[in-house]
Amino acid sequence: MNDTPATAPSERLAGFAALLREHGLSVGVAEQQAMLQAAVRFGPLHERSLQAAWRAIACHSHREWKLWPDVYERFWHPDKLRGGVKVSGQTRASHNLRQSVQALHDRMSEPQDTASLPGAHQNSTHTAGDRPAVSPNEQDAASSRAQGGASRTEALHQRDGQMWMPQELSALQSLARQITAKLQPRNTRRWRVALRGPRLDLRQTLRRSVGWGGELMQPAWKVKRQEPPRLFILADVSRSMESHAALFLRVARAFALEAQARVFVFHTRLAEVTPLMQRDTPVIQEKVNAVTAGFGGGTRIAASLQDFTRHEARVQLNRGSRVWVFSDGFDTDEPDRLAAALQALRARGARITWFHPTVQIPAAAALQRARGSIERFVPLASLADLAAARAVLQ
Amino acid sequence: MSQPDLPGQPATEERLLRERLQRSGYLVDEDLATTVWLASALQRPLLIEGDAGVGKTALATALAKSHSEQGATLVRLQCFEGLDMAQAAYEWNYGRQLMAIRLSDAGQSGAAKVREADVFSREYLLERPLLRAISQTGPCVLLIDEIDRADEAFEAFLLEVLADYQITVPEIGTLRATHIPQVILTSNGTRELSDALRRRCLYHYLDYPTLAREIAIVKSALPEADTRLVEDAVQFVQRLRREDLAKIPGIAETLDWVRALFHLRHVTLPEDMSAVLGTLGCLLKTREDRFMMGADRLRQLVEGRRSVGVAEKGAGQTQAVA
Repeated sequence: MNDTPATAPSERLAGFAALLREHGLSVGVAEQQAMLQAAVRFGPLHERSLQAAWRAIACHSHREWKLWPDVYERFWHPDKLRGGVKVSGQTRASHNLRQSVQALHDRMSEPQDTASLPGAHQNSTHTAGDRPAVSPNEQDAASSRAQGGASRTEALHQRDGQMWMPQELSALQSLARQITAKLQPRNTRRWRVALRGPRLDLRQTLRRSVGWGGELMQPAWKVKRQEPPRLFILADVSRSMESHAALFLRVARAFALEAQARVFVFHTRLAEVTPLMQRDTPVIQEKVNAVTAGFGGGTRIAASLQDFTRHEARVQLNRGSRVWVFSDGFDTDEPDRLAAALQALRARGARITWFHPTVQIPAAAALQRARGSIERFVPLASLADLAAARAVLQ
Repeated sequence: MSQPDLPGQPATEERLLRERLQRSGYLVDEDLATTVWLASALQRPLLIEGDAGVGKTALATALAKSHSEQGATLVRLQCFEGLDMAQAAYEWNYGRQLMAIRLSDAGQSGAAKVREADVFSREYLLERPLLRAISQTGPCVLLIDEIDRADEAFEAFLLEVLADYQITVPEIGTLRATHIPQVILTSNGTRELSDALRRRCLYHYLDYPTLAREIAIVKSALPEADTRLVEDAVQFVQRLRREDLAKIPGIAETLDWVRALFHLRHVTLPEDMSAVLGTLGCLLKTREDRFMMGADRLRQLVEGRRSVGVAEKGAGQTQAVA
């Protein structure tokens, strides 16, 4: 391992655990104890085995599993990091928000060469999202055709008025609850036992009667088993969407809490942020805002959607899954590729709704060619838009 | 960065475990061997996630087989929608209880009256897989297969078993394992498991094997097949997995396919694509996937070209100019 000042192993491990927690891994006292036990058993000389053991202890999901090598190297072998950055002294990442978000940036921004591709920077007129996202009543009927694309608004983190009032957050959560309740569950052919139902479950009733010596004391009923739809939200956080990303992630977070939606963000690559969305702390709120800040370099919607369909959600997509894409539709990939990606997603049974920040459906060529695969377009630039969408989202 | 393996050392134990699993027909990589060993050493359940057909269930069966000299048993709980405690853990044997009460009532005069505690004893308990696993007196591997198919409520019930290896029966009390079983849970990831369940387990994500490892697996399972056939077929499957398929072929599918080609007396991949198409049912299990794989596409894959890329086009042009 790298040359670092001698500190107690448990202290170094605590530092590593803190870094893991900053990356969303649930590493508590029990995990740290188990990691320490593993370190004692393997010793420092069997690093590969020790790393495998720690990975098994600290990771609890595929997302964390994929994240592990990067975080491990960052802490224990900072000299191997890209650019050969030497870190001396304590290698534990500080609690600096910028650094904790940097990992996500790094993962997402590897193929940055697309910035110069055609379509990366589409000039636009007013977008619907130029209106303050928190002022539902200020929605004016813009006469000019909104084109979407790169926004003329300044960077989100430099703007005032991005703070959400508690009542607005509460209104958003309430809207998310109402919309979730309206999402039609998928009927299955199976039945489940219930206290009341249209059919008598004879087998279960007879089974229960055994406990009463054969008397039918406790009839069992059955009802049709329904599955709530699986909701996936993909939010575009590229530079052109910067002014809308805060609203998009707020909305996504509301649905992550209400409908257990899986939330992904993308610009040139796709990354899942569901764990960030499900925790309600000021730090997480700050991270959610930070996630939206500073991304640049084009939008590869088609590539991100393909990655989503083929890898991230492959086994979870089924008939009736809802995929909501929050984007202006301006793609640096070839226009036909988006149509193919959406068609492949549709072929898995997903129902695709496209939320756009513009008043009208974006005129992006890629999106126009893919319209056949999209079930519905919904404008989303304010809470009022979301409230209006209640009527159409099912 | 290495030291000599000493008896009793984790590295030695790990190597022994790998060898035992290999003898049982399962080629395990170093990291997975470490995780399995650690799960056993820390007495923690092991949750293995991965696509269907990567060898999750096979690991548990191989593990039980590898301990067969010590009389290890494999107890399997196949999860499904609607699985409940009565099917997974225990159920009272009501029929037998009634019989005991009736016999007592009909009573031979000398027979003692049956008491409630008598009919609610271990003797009248029907053991289902979980209870059977914690009741074992020798080594046991408990396989909880496809946990993602069970309902979320069932996960909550599992927590007690996974954390403390015990089951609480209200009428009797808590039944604790006399011999801690090695618990393997598998999941295909069709739904998110609860954090509580995940945190009680060690975790391993099992991916598709590398080319070298898959060749070794196929050779180990089919030693009589020609090496060229095995290598060509595995390379083809590895390329096929990169295609946009609805159902990606797993190791079992590769084995089936190589077995089929071997029985058709091929010593290498046939040049004739119709022969390959005829056996492709071993690999591709959906209509869409079969439809997508025409003879031309297959030929490209067999020849190692995923698609005609820029480099290949450029190379072709250069050759033409030359």
